[in-house]
Amino acid sequence: MSKEIKYTEAFEELQQIVADIEDGEISVDELSVKVKRASELIKVCKTKLISTEEDVNQILKELED
Amino acid sequence: MEFLTFTFVSESPQIFTLQQVVSSIRKTIEERYNRTYWVKAEMHKLGRTRAGHCYPELVQKEEGKIVAEMRGTIWKHSFERINQRFMQVVKEPLKEDTTLLMNVKVSFHKIYGMSLQISDIDPNYSLGELQRERAETLKKLQKNGLIDANQGIDFPLLPKRVAVISADSSKGLSDFMKVINENSWGYRFFTLLFPASLQGDQAEHSIIAQLNKIKKVQSHFDIVAIVRGGGGEVGMSCYNNYNLCKAIATFPLPVLTGIGHSTNLTVAEMVSYRNAITPTELGDFLIQAFHNFSLPLKDAAKTIKVQSIQAVEVNKLQLGRSSSSFSAAVRGALGEEKLILNCAKNEIKAGAKERIVFFKERISQVERSMVSQGKMSLQLQHAQLRRITEQLSLHTKSSLLKNKNTFEHAVQSIRLMNPINVLKRGFSITTFNGKTIGESNNVKNGDVVSTRTAKFTIESEVITTKKADE
Repeated sequence: MSKEIKYTEAFEELQQIVADIEDGEISVDELSVKVKRASELIKVCKTKLISTEEDVNQILKELED
Repeated sequence: MEFLTFTFVSESPQIFTLQQVVSSIRKTIEERYNRTYWVKAEMHKLGRTRAGHCYPELVQKEEGKIVAEMRGTIWKHSFERINQRFMQVVKEPLKEDTTLLMNVKVSFHKIYGMSLQISDIDPNYSLGELQRERAETLKKLQKNGLIDANQGIDFPLLPKRVAVISADSSKGLSDFMKVINENSWGYRFFTLLFPASLQGDQAEHSIIAQLNKIKKVQSHFDIVAIVRGGGGEVGMSCYNNYNLCKAIATFPLPVLTGIGHSTNLTVAEMVSYRNAITPTELGDFLIQAFHNFSLPLKDAAKTIKVQSIQAVEVNKLQLGRSSSSFSAAVRGALGEEKLILNCAKNEIKAGAKERIVFFKERISQVERSMVSQGKMSLQLQHAQLRRITEQLSLHTKSSLLKNKNTFEHAVQSIRLMNPINVLKRGFSITTFNGKTIGESNNVKNGDVVSTRTAKFTIESEVITTKKADE
C-alpha cells in the first residue's frame, strides 16, 4: 500500500512541478533541482506502468488465514 | 362428480381390486376436471429426470409457510418447448423458486397418483415477475442510499491490480485477459481469478462469496472486475438480485462489470463503479486508464524540457540585455556626474572670487566704521568726562558746605560739652588716682582724692563714704 501512495503522490507532485514551470513560477535557481526531481518522479511512475510487485502466494496465504 | 358405486349383493362386502379403485378415481377426475386451467404456483423444485421429463414440486406459500403442495409433470417435449420460449422472452431458463403461471390439467396416474400436468407456462408472466424483482431491488437500494455507493469511491490512478470474478476458462475471461495482457504499450497488470458461477441460480451466492473473499485481501487490489461472456443472453436475472447488488454497491473497492449482453441493463451494472458491457470493453477501459496516467508523464517530460530550455534562454537574454544596458547606464551616469562636478567646480571658483571680493569689502567697511566709531566714542568719552568733572565739582561744593555746617554744629556742641564750661557753672570733678570714682574705682577712708573746680584743684582726704541715693 505504501508503494501505492508513493506513485500517486509522485504523479501529483509531478503535475505540480509541470504547472509551476508552465506558470513561470520556478526561478532559474530552482530549475535544475526541480527538473531533477521531475525526472525522478517520471521514472517512479513509468516503472509503475510496466511492472508489478504483487505476490500471489502471499494473497493466497492471507486468504487461508 | 361420480363416485364408486358399492352394491351390496349379499352380507359379505364386495371386494375391489386396487386397479378398479384407481381406475374409478381416474375416471371420476377425468370427467370432473375435463379441461385445462391457468394456475399460479411457485415451482419449488424442477425435478428433471435423465429422460428429460420434469416432476416439479408446486407449492403455495403464505407468510413463508406452505399452505398447498402438489406434484407437477412436464413431459420432455413440453419442457423443451416451454424452456425455449422462456429463453426468447424472459432470457432465463425455467427457474426454481419462482412463481409461474401454468396451464395445467389435473391428472391421475395409475401408479404415480395425482399430479398437475403442465402443458404450458406463460413466459410473459415470469418476465413481469422478474421486472418486478428488478424494480424492487432498485427501490430498496435507493431507499438505503446504496445506488451510488460504489461510484462514490475514488478510482485509483492506476487500476493495475485486478481481482477478477469470472467463470474459469470462459470466453469472456480470455477476451478480457487478452486485452489487458497483450497490450502494445508494455503496461503490466496483476490479475488474480476468483472463479464463480456467473449466471443462473448459483451466481448470486457464488459471486457474493468471492466478493467476501476479495474483501479479506483487498489491500492487494485496486479494483474488482466481474467478467462474463460467451454464455449468451440468458441467466442474467441474478444481476437484479438485491443481495448481489448490495454486495457490489457496498464493496470497498471499485467494482467494474463486463457481463456482456444487449438487453436491459441489470441493477448490478447500474450500481457498479463502471459498466463496460463486454469484457473486451472493460479491458479497453483499464488500458485507457493507463494511458491517462502515461500521457501526462510524457507531456510532463516534454513540457519540462521545453520550458526549462526556454526559461534558461529567457534568462540568458535578460542577462545580456541587462549587462549591456548596465554598462550604458554606467557610462551615462559617469558622464552626468562629471558634468555636475565641472559645474560645481566652476560655481565654486566663481563663488569663491565673489566671496573674497565681498569679504574684502566687508573688512574695509569694518575698518572704516571702526575708525569713525573710535572717534565718536572718544568724543562721547570726552563729553562724559566733562560732565562727570562738572558734576563732581558741583557735588563737592555742596558736600563741603553741608560738612562745614555739620562741623560747626559739632564744634558748638563740643564746646558746650567741655567740662570747664560745666565747672564754670559750679560743678566739680573728683578723681582718685586720676580716674573718676565709681564702682570700679572705689575709695576707702583715708584715701586722698583730687577735686577739680573751674579755678582750683583741691586735694582732700576721705573721711567717710556713703552711697548716694539713687
